[in-house]
Amino acid sequence: MEVITWLLESSLAGILVRGLAYGTPLLWGSLGEIYAERAGVVNLGVEGMMILGAFSGFATAHVTGNPVAGLCAAGLIGALAALLHAFFSITLRANQYVSGLALSMFGLGLSGLLGRGWEGIPLERPLPEVTILAPLGFALAVVLWVVLYHTRWGIILRTTGEAPAAADALGINVILVRYVAVVFGGLLAGIAGGFLSVAYRPSWTEGMTSGIGWIVVALAIFASWDPLKAIWTSLLFGVLFHLSFRLQTWIPAEPLQMMPFAFTIIVLTATARRSGRVRQAAPEALGLPYVRGER
Amino acid sequence: MRWTKLLAIVAAVLVVATTGWAQPAKVKVGFIYVGPIGDYGWTNAHDVARKKLERAFPGQVETMYVESVPEGNAEPFIDKLVRGGANVVFTTSFGFMDGTLAAAKRHPAVIFAHASGFKRNDNMATYMADFYQIYYLNGLMAGALTKTNRIAYVGAFPIPEVKRHMGAFALGVRAVNPRATVHVRWLFSWFDPAKAKEATEALLAERADVFAFTEDSPTVIQVSAQKNRASFSHYSPMQRFAPRHVISGQLVHWDRIYVDFIGKVLKGTYSNQNLENVDYWWLLAEKAVELGGQFGQPINPVFAGQLKAARVRTREFGTISVYDLVNRRLAQMTRKPVAFDPFTGPIRDRKGVLRVPAGHTMTIGELNSMEWAAPGIVGQWPKEPK
Repeated sequence: MEVITWLLESSLAGILVRGLAYGTPLLWGSLGEIYAERAGVVNLGVEGMMILGAFSGFATAHVTGNPVAGLCAAGLIGALAALLHAFFSITLRANQYVSGLALSMFGLGLSGLLGRGWEGIPLERPLPEVTILAPLGFALAVVLWVVLYHTRWGIILRTTGEAPAAADALGINVILVRYVAVVFGGLLAGIAGGFLSVAYRPSWTEGMTSGIGWIVVALAIFASWDPLKAIWTSLLFGVLFHLSFRLQTWIPAEPLQMMPFAFTIIVLTATARRSGRVRQAAPEALGLPYVRGER
Repeated sequence: MRWTKLLAIVAAVLVVATTGWAQPAKVKVGFIYVGPIGDYGWTNAHDVARKKLERAFPGQVETMYVESVPEGNAEPFIDKLVRGGANVVFTTSFGFMDGTLAAAKRHPAVIFAHASGFKRNDNMATYMADFYQIYYLNGLMAGALTKTNRIAYVGAFPIPEVKRHMGAFALGVRAVNPRATVHVRWLFSWFDPAKAKEATEALLAERADVFAFTEDSPTVIQVSAQKNRASFSHYSPMQRFAPRHVISGQLVHWDRIYVDFIGKVLKGTYSNQNLENVDYWWLLAEKAVELGGQFGQPINPVFAGQLKAARVRTREFGTISVYDLVNRRLAQMTRKPVAFDPFTGPIRDRKGVLRVPAGHTMTIGELNSMEWAAPGIVGQWPKEPK
């Protein structure tokens, strides 16, 4: 039995499994960020939404004994946190970058405050690491890709992000679409955070997202805002992140630490060039608050 | 306006009186923390000690603190504490060293003490509670308990402090099990649960079965416990997070140093004139550190049977169980004068170079600048001397 687990864990499959485990929160988070940015709203608050999701997910799973309930709570809290960002950046038209940064700091601070006393407690019934949220994430990515490129909703979402004034003229409620996209992004970021505390670790530690939210923001760009590409970028990043510790016996640790970032960028640039498909990557109105009558 | 002049003179006399001669009947102590007080390691331990310090001198000591102060930018925060009336300031991270020295020169009336550094001044002392003896004891247990002869160590940064601890740990491992190796992974972070998790997974995949670490979260313990592997707690009492898997660990009592220091300030032994050579390097004998994964329990009883069954031949005690060996060594290092030091020569590094000659025990200075890797350590070792 011992030998079998060792064989499994040291083989290529084992490395893939680790990449899948670390890639799962990246995938869920970046899918959410892609949708928010497709509507024209940058949300730098992913780290904050994730950590709030991680704490509320753990607390709920611990109290109810049900990890799925934990994930639901995590998603709900993530969505609520995103609602804050939506209110400031869409309704009040505050600078999206500032509002997102503030949300990240707010989330880290609040979860740290609430999380005192929950620190380190192991979860009795954790969620399996790779068998549930990873395949669900793949399915979700496919669905989101179909919706984005092959449905009316997708056109509405993309138009809102590319040319909000035109969308408005067509009778699309720009504010509403942006709200829905940002809150949906928060929902996914919250679930990603919940995954960390009910499946990946599974326990609560203050600041446990330790920068994963920022990687998510980067991956949304690396994936050129395409949900299908998000699968590959997160999986690739996950595998490389794990490998950076597997390979430390042979390769110095410092270059290994930047390998996930460097390699992901290289692979994506190469594939983007080869595919030859000309598509303007970033949504045209990304980061710009919409004011009717202004351009 | 003669009375204002009078008032000024009286005030000046008072200032001279309080800063010049009179030993303070009451001190206000400020702390600069590098992390949040809710972390599960270093800063939390200092904050627990701060509260104990207040309780040790009721009515005489008042404390205040600033948390999450960025290293290299401590000065404005120190100035804030001084403006708030602090007579004594403790700065609790290596990276605050130069900032503390600059502040000490700027505020000559205030007493400063800096943890884990080596720069001092008339009004600035240094202090450290170090774990290397305890890591040696942990190593003895790890060497006895490993079945795969592969022991894992997840390290934060490859700096002398961490290398010293890994070295002591590996020397302990080899003292009872010359065939065992210590496999190292570096995180380049004091706190990063995701990195600690993947490093642990990587070491599990290499069949390591006993885990030690330097990182401020219980990640390594919990991830290895899920795979039913044993581990050592680090810094805080983490045994309760995996009660059947934590063998032992390292615990700190910073309050021992703080209470002693402030006691001497209140007595007038320490002033802003005579700290040039005051350096606390407190270990087991001073009770600044403790062996165990929870306070008051050096070895988790879950592992007592296995450790008693493991027998080892030693030159000093003949053939005894590892359990007894740990307790003998602990006793030797707890009593003064200390009868045993893990870094007593002859010690060769993993390349075979003689690092500590026979009969010599490494000095504090040598320990603080130690870069070589002890035998049995496997893995990258930045700045390894040739």
